[in-house]
Amino acid sequence: MSRLILAALLWLPALPALAAPRVPADEREVLERLPLRPRDPAAAQLRELRAAAAAAPADPSAVVPLARRYFELAMAEGDPRYVGYAQAALAPWAGNDRASAVILILRALLRQYRHDFEGALADLALAAQRDPQNAEARAWRAAIFMVRADYAAAARECAALAALVDELQATGCRAYVEATTGKARSAYARLLGALHRAPDAGAGQRLWILTRLAEIAWRLGDAAAAERHFRDALAAGLTDNFLLAAYADFLLEQRRQREVIDLLQEHSRSDTLLLRLALAERDLGLPGAARRAQSLGERFAAAAARGERLHLAEEARYLLELRADAPAALAAAAENWDSQREPRDALILLEAARAARNPVAAAPVLEWLVRTGFEHPRMRSLAADLR
Amino acid sequence: MRLALVVALLFAWAPALAHKPSDSYLTLYADGGALHGQWDIALRDLEYAIGLDADGDGVITWGELRARHADVAAYAFARLALRADGRPCRPKVREHLVDEHSDGAYAVLRFDANCIAPPLRTLEIAYSLFADLDPTHRGLVRVQHGTATASGVLGPDRPRLEVALGEASRLRQFFDYAREGVWHIWIGIDHVLFLVSLLLPAVLVFGGRGWEPAPRFAPVFWEVFKIVTAFTVAHSITLSAAALGLVALPSRLVESVIALSVVLAALNNLKPVVLARRWAVAFGFGLMHGFGFASVLADLGLPRDALLVSLVGFNLGVEAGQLAVVCLFLPAAFLARRHWLYRRLVFAGGSAAIALVAAAWMVERVFDLKLL
Repeated sequence: MSRLILAALLWLPALPALAAPRVPADEREVLERLPLRPRDPAAAQLRELRAAAAAAPADPSAVVPLARRYFELAMAEGDPRYVGYAQAALAPWAGNDRASAVILILRALLRQYRHDFEGALADLALAAQRDPQNAEARAWRAAIFMVRADYAAAARECAALAALVDELQATGCRAYVEATTGKARSAYARLLGALHRAPDAGAGQRLWILTRLAEIAWRLGDAAAAERHFRDALAAGLTDNFLLAAYADFLLEQRRQREVIDLLQEHSRSDTLLLRLALAERDLGLPGAARRAQSLGERFAAAAARGERLHLAEEARYLLELRADAPAALAAAAENWDSQREPRDALILLEAARAARNPVAAAPVLEWLVRTGFEHPRMRSLAADLR
Repeated sequence: MRLALVVALLFAWAPALAHKPSDSYLTLYADGGALHGQWDIALRDLEYAIGLDADGDGVITWGELRARHADVAAYAFARLALRADGRPCRPKVREHLVDEHSDGAYAVLRFDANCIAPPLRTLEIAYSLFADLDPTHRGLVRVQHGTATASGVLGPDRPRLEVALGEASRLRQFFDYAREGVWHIWIGIDHVLFLVSLLLPAVLVFGGRGWEPAPRFAPVFWEVFKIVTAFTVAHSITLSAAALGLVALPSRLVESVIALSVVLAALNNLKPVVLARRWAVAFGFGLMHGFGFASVLADLGLPRDALLVSLVGFNLGVEAGQLAVVCLFLPAAFLARRHWLYRRLVFAGGSAAIALVAAAWMVERVFDLKLL
């Protein structure tokens, strides 16, 4: 017994997942499945872009397409390795403020990814100044101001953007702000109308607008409309991590756990989606649920070992719903709120504060709810409980 | 431009989408003059750097990895510079394995660092794996040296880690092992109970009418001194002999005899057989307790270059822990010795309880059962 205690105490906080290294018995044993098959057209295109950038590593016209492609992959797969690859491609312009607008925008994307929002806003301001017709810099600034909950600034960027883009995009930007500031119903109607008037919108654009429409309809209590928008968005045929996560949350709330499992079965690489998968399996009492939760815990531990906590909102939800550790969840949710203030960040802080019976910790979100007039029945009832 | 906006707004979701970025896990074990290590590198990253999927089917098999082992080692060790006392080491892979981490399969390289002759004083690690391909890659480095561990997260922002392994850490090593010794006495209840069983009667004398309070402190003190010294000398002998690999006994035998020693010491209080020479009992069984300590020390692992320091440290830690038990026990027992509660409850009742518990341990250890 004493030996056991000693052994337990001596166990150093080792690196995560210390399974036993082994020598596989079979040559044909599959060790790893790659996200892209080398023969896929997407992989071939990526190889071409890589070759072009390698041939001219200091030429923006060769490097920018590659860096962009990496970002798109990072978003689609939820895989941060691609962000690293993009950063490597942009290394020649790392500290150069005289770079062109496109380079500055890509650099801003890297910065916001690391939650350096101030640095990203500065790069984007520089890009907009260098190229006043650049809509992307404006759109990005609006998006970052939304994450920072600075709605007045976001609205200003949307207004500046309106002169540079078509109706659907201008409406999308404005509706995004208005739906968060207590005007969800009118924003929804306007966005839906704009979408109907633009039947030739691209797949990516449709997906984005439809996901936002689904979220607004869900918040307004129209589950049937939300379901329809989610389905239409999925029908765009693009893999999008955010859409999958949002739809999974919707299904979880509707007690449709089986459908969550069908939806996410193939997507356990992404932390966000693994979390939803684990929740659905837990609710159904499936045997693999504990292993999923453990694997998720290992990923958070691995991130902490790196000295990085970029998905605190996810970690808070994991701690609250899968580990039933309300105080730790509250700490993570509160730290998350310091850097990110979107509705989902508000929701997890409210839920953790209620579970931990700590209304004081929820004060910033209660204040945010009053200030924005955000329409969300579940948040409103949580807030009433906490007040 | 239309797509650009959508893409831009999509990107705003990025922070919440992240899953695990690229990490490698490098552990170095400094053991005397020898330095060896294990390096876990994700197959995904190796695929991106040197290409492993030979047949292009989107799947990496063990056969495909095995065919590239030499390239993997060459690529990795070209990006890791180890210097011992300022002179470069020449790492050589001993075996190639695979392992699963939370985000997929990893190639595991076990290697000998082949540094200069001992003693190793400082170790310098310069890490640049994947720095050109993925600046967000990190090497999670851990250096283990005896009970001491140094660690660092290395990457392009912080490519170097320096660890002192030499004299400076010698003292720390001594205290680390001493602390383990104290701790082992503290939680090693069988050793404490053996000692207590021998000490309980020290404040009493056995006469015609059974146990009577001892009249003066001086003889009591010398009695305790003799017992504790005998116990200490005995277990130091066997602890050293076992730790140095001179003698080895099966641990089940050792643990069983230790339990037996506690039973006998406690029973001797209830029905005295040995009176004047309790120190001899302490010495005899002390030899066996020493083997028990040695197995703890073996679990901790003894650094070859600091064998003596660690051994002496651990032993002195055990003595210090033991002395603390005596210092707590003796004054209290001496003051309480005239009270009937001491003789009836503490001495007789305590001895009986100790004998019972230790008997149960003995059965457990002899028959490999779980009773308590």
